[in-house]
Amino acid sequence: MSDGAGATAPKPSSSVKLVLLGEAAVGKSSLVLRFVNNDFQPNKEPTIGAAFLTQKCQLPNRTIKFEIWDTAGQERFASLAPMYYRNAQSALVVYDITKPSSLVKAKHWVAELQRQASPGIVIALVGNKLDLCEDDNAEAEQADAENETEEEPSTARKVSTKEAKAYADEESLLFFETSAKTGHNVSEVFTAIANAIPETSLKGPRSGAGGGTQAAISAGQDNNRVNLNARGEAGPKEGCAC
Amino acid sequence: MFLQNLVQKAQQLIDPAVLPGPLGSLTSSDRPSKAQLFRHQFRLPDTQNPLYEITAELTLPGKSSRGGGGAPKNWDKSNWDRDRGTHYVGQLHLSEQFLCFSTVNTSFANTASTSASSAFTGRTHGTGPAGNGFTLPLCAVRRMERLHTQSYMFALSVTTWNGFDAGGEGKAGAPSPPKLTIQLEGSRQQCERFCDGLKRGLRQGIKEVDNMRTVAQECYSEYFMYDDFDVTPTPEKPDGTPRTPPDTGLGSVFKYPGNSKKLRDRSKMRLWHEYMKENGRNTTLVRQPDFHRLIRVGLPNLLRGEIWELSSGSFYLRLQKPKLYQETLVKHEGEGSLAIDEIEKDLNRSLPEYAGFQSEEGIGRLRRVLTAYSWINPEVGYCQAMNIVVAALLIYLSESQAFYVLSILCDRLLPGYYSTTMYGTLLDQRVFESLVEKTMPIIWDHLVKNDVQLSVVSLPWFLSLYINSMPLIFAFRVLDVFFLEGPKVLFQVGLAILRINGEELLDATDDGTFISVLKSYFARLGESAHPKSENPKHRAITNFQALMVVAFKEFEGITQHTISEQRSKHKGAVLENIESFAKRTSIRNLGPESKKLSMNDLGFLYDRFYTVLYERQQRSQIIQAEADRKQKQARQRASELVTGVPGNAPEMGRVALGPSSSQMDYDAFREFLAGVSKWAVTDSPSSPSKEDKSSNGYFASALRNRSASLSPWGAGPEPADHDFMQRLFKKWDADGNSALTLQNVVTGLAPIKGNRDIMSSIEYFFELYDDDSDGKVDREGILRISEALLFLSRRGVAGGLGPSSGVEEVKGPDGLPMSKDEQFLSAVSAFIRRCFEYADPDHPSRQDVDGAATGIKNLDVKEDDLLDLGEKKESDDHPLAENSTSAADDSVLARPSTNSFGQTASKNAEANAALDPSSPVHITLPTFRMLVLADETLESFFDSGFANSFHLADAPLPSSTLTSPSFLNLHNAAPSNSASPIPTISPGGPGAGVVAPGKGLRGMLDNIVTDGMRVAAEVKRRMDEAQKELDRGATTRGTEDEEDEEYEDHGRDLLDVAEADAVPERQGEAGGNLLDKDIVSSPTKAEAGSSAASVKSTGSTGMGKDVEKSTMFER
Repeated sequence: MSDGAGATAPKPSSSVKLVLLGEAAVGKSSLVLRFVNNDFQPNKEPTIGAAFLTQKCQLPNRTIKFEIWDTAGQERFASLAPMYYRNAQSALVVYDITKPSSLVKAKHWVAELQRQASPGIVIALVGNKLDLCEDDNAEAEQADAENETEEEPSTARKVSTKEAKAYADEESLLFFETSAKTGHNVSEVFTAIANAIPETSLKGPRSGAGGGTQAAISAGQDNNRVNLNARGEAGPKEGCAC
Repeated sequence: MFLQNLVQKAQQLIDPAVLPGPLGSLTSSDRPSKAQLFRHQFRLPDTQNPLYEITAELTLPGKSSRGGGGAPKNWDKSNWDRDRGTHYVGQLHLSEQFLCFSTVNTSFANTASTSASSAFTGRTHGTGPAGNGFTLPLCAVRRMERLHTQSYMFALSVTTWNGFDAGGEGKAGAPSPPKLTIQLEGSRQQCERFCDGLKRGLRQGIKEVDNMRTVAQECYSEYFMYDDFDVTPTPEKPDGTPRTPPDTGLGSVFKYPGNSKKLRDRSKMRLWHEYMKENGRNTTLVRQPDFHRLIRVGLPNLLRGEIWELSSGSFYLRLQKPKLYQETLVKHEGEGSLAIDEIEKDLNRSLPEYAGFQSEEGIGRLRRVLTAYSWINPEVGYCQAMNIVVAALLIYLSESQAFYVLSILCDRLLPGYYSTTMYGTLLDQRVFESLVEKTMPIIWDHLVKNDVQLSVVSLPWFLSLYINSMPLIFAFRVLDVFFLEGPKVLFQVGLAILRINGEELLDATDDGTFISVLKSYFARLGESAHPKSENPKHRAITNFQALMVVAFKEFEGITQHTISEQRSKHKGAVLENIESFAKRTSIRNLGPESKKLSMNDLGFLYDRFYTVLYERQQRSQIIQAEADRKQKQARQRASELVTGVPGNAPEMGRVALGPSSSQMDYDAFREFLAGVSKWAVTDSPSSPSKEDKSSNGYFASALRNRSASLSPWGAGPEPADHDFMQRLFKKWDADGNSALTLQNVVTGLAPIKGNRDIMSSIEYFFELYDDDSDGKVDREGILRISEALLFLSRRGVAGGLGPSSGVEEVKGPDGLPMSKDEQFLSAVSAFIRRCFEYADPDHPSRQDVDGAATGIKNLDVKEDDLLDLGEKKESDDHPLAENSTSAADDSVLARPSTNSFGQTASKNAEANAALDPSSPVHITLPTFRMLVLADETLESFFDSGFANSFHLADAPLPSSTLTSPSFLNLHNAAPSNSASPIPTISPGGPGAGVVAPGKGLRGMLDNIVTDGMRVAAEVKRRMDEAQKELDRGATTRGTEDEEDEEYEDHGRDLLDVAEADAVPERQGEAGGNLLDKDIVSSPTKAEAGSSAASVKSTGSTGMGKDVEKSTMFER
């Protein structure tokens, strides 16, 4: 439940609210599940409304505790989203690299966040399902029927890294391509976000505004927190790379 | 069922006290209609209406009679004794197909006040089969007899169909349920009326009997009650056919969740067997207090589905349309849709831990039910969470049963929950929060203080009916009560959860802890609530049982009434939120073109676009509803009212309520334009009073009642219909499907409003008329352009000169200021002439033209200088300048003559050559551009006037010009004539030249007009000679302009203007009329009546007037 580092050397700890947005079935919940429990389920129940999970990320000089809001992806749930991204300091906008339409939707989300979410929100654009195109460099050659399920390995990439990267640069987003199935790049995303959060905007866990200073107290508090995912008591092995 | 929905929706419109869905109407009353309350109380399909009602006493055979074996058989009219059995006093209701009784004393009669029908006292408060009683399909009545009685005038004995066993007098077969005895308590007349209605209904019901039997056979009770409880089921019927139990869901194959022993399933079955023996089953079930009790303790597996069907009312839907499910599947076999794609994504993720959904069988059922529903209700389609709910239903219900339950859920019990905007979900979250605030202020304050958002936690509870929050067995217990008592159960349970966990929740200071407290509570639902209690009985109480007690005892006060009240209270805010979100998203996604318009303008366009669609929909529905009502009245209480409004709910247009049409057809587009641009308002609104007079149709009376809302254009101005608008529509309709999306409108408008660049604006206009996009506009096109320019300017141009130009107003010959309209008119008349002067022949000899053009340009420059020096010149002078610059120096007095055709004799000859239809001509974009730029007025029009004529957010049209009914009325009704004191000036009046020229302004104007006309007349004559088909070119509105320059000059005194203008129209007199007649068409009149006949009218009422006018011209 608690990752060793927090107990031995209390570092400044702060919680960061992170929201996941993106089209349905791009793998938002799977990314979180991989990050939080280092697990993967091929048939995950769709998220209804939103799911809430927490996970810590150890940085050299501080601990970031992510409070992750994993939202439902279906279009009609979009109107619920403002409820979840309210006050979020960071966001993961996920698309499926085998589905160009999901990038379009991701762009909409980025626009929405930039306009409506808290100013200074750190946004990461994440192309998921990298495992579906083994050859990373092959760019959408096999133009065939797209698959939405993750078990189908046949589908090739439909969104080029270059295109997405260019967009991310233009909008100053962090950018990663990941595979929740293999775990590739997943923890890197969260670490990068943790690093990108300006220190000034950090606050102690639920202590209101101000810098993250109450190390000792919060460490104790954190240990009391229950990891919400019932199945995932095992604890994160490589939740964070650092 | 879908049809029934439509019918209901239509009926809701008729009843002013209507509640569309649960939400309450936005407009008038938040009260549901009586018919709706009636249907909800008895869970009837939407086709049913309360026809008769009467106070009555229901007598059931008491338990005592059960002992005396043959007791039921002794029940007949001879020895009926009202002292035996159980008595209930209540209200007996008759609908088209149902006889309903409830001890809850509610009235749905027409005379009853709405409060009398909504003041529920029973447990279900109007959302379920309240109180004790029955909902009896008339087709299930086997026999109905009138009993001899002393004390009551009317007593009826009802024998139901499954009171008799199918196999005759043998042992096996269902035991007879009791006959029901009903005494009617009312005046003789009342009773007779009721009985007459009943007789009719019963006769109708006979047709349904076979169908009813088939449907009932799918109920487990039919199988279950065949034998006594303790004997092994008879394997076959007396006739030898084998008896097989009906489909009771996946559970019968894959096991029902939970330990049936622990759930005491068998003893529950025994209790139900007893209950049904005495009180009937499926169609004929009578609700007594035990019914509610048996449901509260949890339904047994095999009967759960059937009781769900009965208490939710889906059974009655299935009874009405038993084949709908199969038919829907067959009809859409092989089709694909977005919903289906979404369903496919989730099939493997619906209750994946239940064995049935790891099998193809289970997945297949789930797929079919969800798909079928998405077809019958495409507005909802598929929403995540429906998969979970349906998966849960399928454990206890057959496919088709689950389908009907899902319909009831989406349409009635959870309205708006799964819609595309999920407004129902959001609304109920808001309601839930306010209930928490009300009932548990301490917890609420704590949540607020710690910024924990409750709905984040509770939303999945409601959306998936606790199915993915609680362990399945408990979620099903909640469902048992939910189907019986309605949506308020969800709230009660939710509140109870918070109350029970209150202390722990008060320790939680963030969302995470908050959620985890509840999660662990749900995991402990099966554990003892008092594990440390000495009393073994207390120890045996589980957390879940405690929860139910808190929910239904402590929160007993939460009734459907509470919920409805709260819903209407919060509805506005919730819808607004959704709408602003939708608007934001929609505007943001309009594409790059939209960036040319300001955010405000986009917002305005968005509002205007959806307002028009919404209002049109509303109007069409009111009209439709009106028609329906008439129809209904015509055939008194026809039981099958099948005409409905296709696909529309009363409020569908409201964005937040879900999908509706998001495309504009041409008519809607006209209306849209009329709200944005003055020129798009028609000059000859079809007078409502006229329609009133022709009161042959039923619309007439309707119009009298609600004329504002029933005019096809609502309260807004009636839009014009003009070639230009058609062209604009076509151009904006980029997808070519004769409908505009918001995207189309924005993309279409962006180049006009956004560029602010005269060249592109000219080009845009040119392209509108370049039909084959070959860069050339032919003769007809030129005429149409001129005509469009006049059309656009007939209410004045907000040109680049702007209001400030008043300082340097152009003076007319008589020293009166010349209005911009006049300038424009003359500019156009010059334009048309020049067009033909400089048109290229189709076999080009371009050099000359170019040369000439350059010449003109040079001269123009000169002249501009002159103009700057002092008095502004008629733009009309410009072309004349080419022969003698002295023209520019002419005094204003000289202008009429310089305008005349003769002065440019040499050019005229050229022009005439160009007019020769035998040598077709065209102008190219450069020529067009040149001609526009050669004229200051036109230049300013294209520079800004055209763009400014679309009033967006920056300067919306003053509402007075848009919606002034008095304006419309006066305009049409004004009886005065041209003798009106206000001199009516008519720029563009095509007939003006024929009429004896007036003095002053009028005279000057007439000259201008004459001048332009003569050019056009020449064109026309030759064209007519050459090609008949060019008739179309002379399109005319055949209408009068009610807003001439007086309109501008006299402070927009609409009434005056309307009055003044109405004159000529009414009387068909020549003076000051025909403002809208364009130059092109006028020569037609001047020429001969025959050509006038060729003028094609585009206005709806135009033709008649045209003819009238043309004769007038002949005179």
